[in-house]
Amino acid sequence: MMTRALLVLLLIVTLPARAADWRMDAAASRLDFAATFEKTPAPGVFKQFDARLAFDGDTPAGGKLVVTIRTASADMGSADINKAIAGPEWFDFARHPQATFQSSEVRREGERYLARGTLTLKGVTRPVDVPFSWNAAGDAATMEGEFTVQRGSFNIGTGEWLATSVIGPDVKVKFRVRLRSGG
Amino acid sequence: MTSWNAPAKFFHWLVAVLVLAQIALGLAAIGWSLSPTKLNLYVWHKSLGLLILAVMALRLLWRLTHPGPGLPEGTPAWENSAARASHFLLYALLIALPLSGWVIASASGIPFRIFWQVPLPEIVTADKATADVAARVHFWLLVAFVPLLVLHAGAALRHHYIKRNDVLRRMLPFA
Repeated sequence: MMTRALLVLLLIVTLPARAADWRMDAAASRLDFAATFEKTPAPGVFKQFDARLAFDGDTPAGGKLVVTIRTASADMGSADINKAIAGPEWFDFARHPQATFQSSEVRREGERYLARGTLTLKGVTRPVDVPFSWNAAGDAATMEGEFTVQRGSFNIGTGEWLATSVIGPDVKVKFRVRLRSGG
Repeated sequence: MTSWNAPAKFFHWLVAVLVLAQIALGLAAIGWSLSPTKLNLYVWHKSLGLLILAVMALRLLWRLTHPGPGLPEGTPAWENSAARASHFLLYALLIALPLSGWVIASASGIPFRIFWQVPLPEIVTADKATADVAARVHFWLLVAFVPLLVLHAGAALRHHYIKRNDVLRRMLPFA
């Protein structure tokens, strides 16, 4: 009995604290991106996405971030552009309706954190580092960050669009995710 | 011969060259398949359109403060009226065409900088229905403009070759 209690105590002390589970508040979260069009910023937003997170700011190592994005929810503020990006040369909504980020490692970087993992977009999986800030208060938290991807790495813009003089190569991704613990 | 003043001639021929290039660019941009070239043609067309608008604003100010020579003595009253009306319409269309283009550019929501440099202020908010209406207006203004342009050039040639007066020559550069 005594040894068993000791063993449990030992387990509690030595095991890393189990990372808390967080669910996204979709209405309060945003996933923006910005391409460049004819040397002009071309902002867009993914209206439908979901982030699942197991994370504890004090022990980030046990964290896990999974983000799923419905590609067809991309809105670039122009009916013509929205129609164009749906096609096979761009996002190819029909064949690749979903993009996914999956972390393999979460670690602290100074005051901020870094989720290293892979982004699967248009059927291509590439390593992506996602830096983010973390503000938790009670059962709510806000996760914010931005990173840049090369559209060419994911075959976004093929054929004549491979040239980057008209549509630039870099796409900045920016997110502000509001989370609630539990679930 | 009472010639047009030098700035009036400069404005006339500058706008003539820009407008011909502009019509060619616009038609090419519409016809081109969706590609980087098509997008570039549209940037040129929009940029040139705004340049025409700016030049026309200056030209209008100049014309209002520096009246040109009238038609020769003995010109029938109907010709005077027709000339006044067609010139008024040409000026009006050369301002309305770029303005309607500006509405399309704003309503389309497509990012744009004039000659790839200067952001264009939006005069309407991005809205597909507005863009469609403005595009139709832009088209019909062009449909009105082209015969007027033919009439304008034809009348100048008539003055030169048939009436044998100096109406065409006095607008020629270096004349």
